[in-house]
Amino acid sequence: MSSRSELQQQQEIIGSLQPAIHSPQNWNYEVAGPLYRAYMHPPHDVGGQYDVPVHYEEKEEEEWELNTYVTCEVLGWKGVWTAEERRRRADNDLGHTLYFGIPYYGRWIWSAAKMLVDKKHISLAELLAKIAEVKSRYETKQITRNPSDGH
Amino acid sequence: MKQNKSLETPQMAIDKSARFKVGDRVRVKDMPYLFYTRSQMYTRGVVGTIAACTYQDLIPEEEAFNLDGQVEQYYIVRFRQKDLWPEYPFDNDTLQTESPERWLELVSDESGPEQERKGSE
Repeated sequence: MSSRSELQQQQEIIGSLQPAIHSPQNWNYEVAGPLYRAYMHPPHDVGGQYDVPVHYEEKEEEEWELNTYVTCEVLGWKGVWTAEERRRRADNDLGHTLYFGIPYYGRWIWSAAKMLVDKKHISLAELLAKIAEVKSRYETKQITRNPSDGH
Repeated sequence: MKQNKSLETPQMAIDKSARFKVGDRVRVKDMPYLFYTRSQMYTRGVVGTIAACTYQDLIPEEEAFNLDGQVEQYYIVRFRQKDLWPEYPFDNDTLQTESPERWLELVSDESGPEQERKGSE
């Protein structure tokens, strides 16, 4: 459980995630054509946009990433979603801020969880309770962590 | 992966024959986008060549929403890199991407899009 001051700090970070184009008046009555089109543009279609050179890192998948991959593939194999649907959810539905902000497999697992809630396979309340349970179990384990323990 | 599908017998009926053939000049249409697209911004309005007629499959706009909907012919379209990126330095380099039929229009000459093939839906 976070303290009040930690929560206030959190609030500042959330506030700083505002879009780069931001006017003090939110939800304007009119959005000019080109800006409207830019807002409607699917976030993942980034080819041809200007950007700065980035550091290329040769990196193996971590355990949570492989687990995420397998989970998503199994959900596909069971017919819960299709590959195209996964792309739509993980590359578009999560929006610009999350698309650019969280890890690649973070987007996969975010969209898998959202899909399971959307399709009523699990309820959000159920999911949140489970996250809280695992989180507290993990935090307890951190203190007496065995290096061979993967979770 | 997807290319192999053309070798299988599609369980979805092939409802219409391919509108374009290998070698045809096509332009990527600039259709509206909302919620989802597989048609890259950097290819829109650019003229390329049909490199292959691959297979018939669900269109992305419907498969992305788990809809067992319309099936359409897919193509590999080849572009000159110089046509995509004006500042690109090498004349011979090409880029290939895949597109369902609805995103492409035949270019009979360099003057503009062909009109008579429209509205066949």
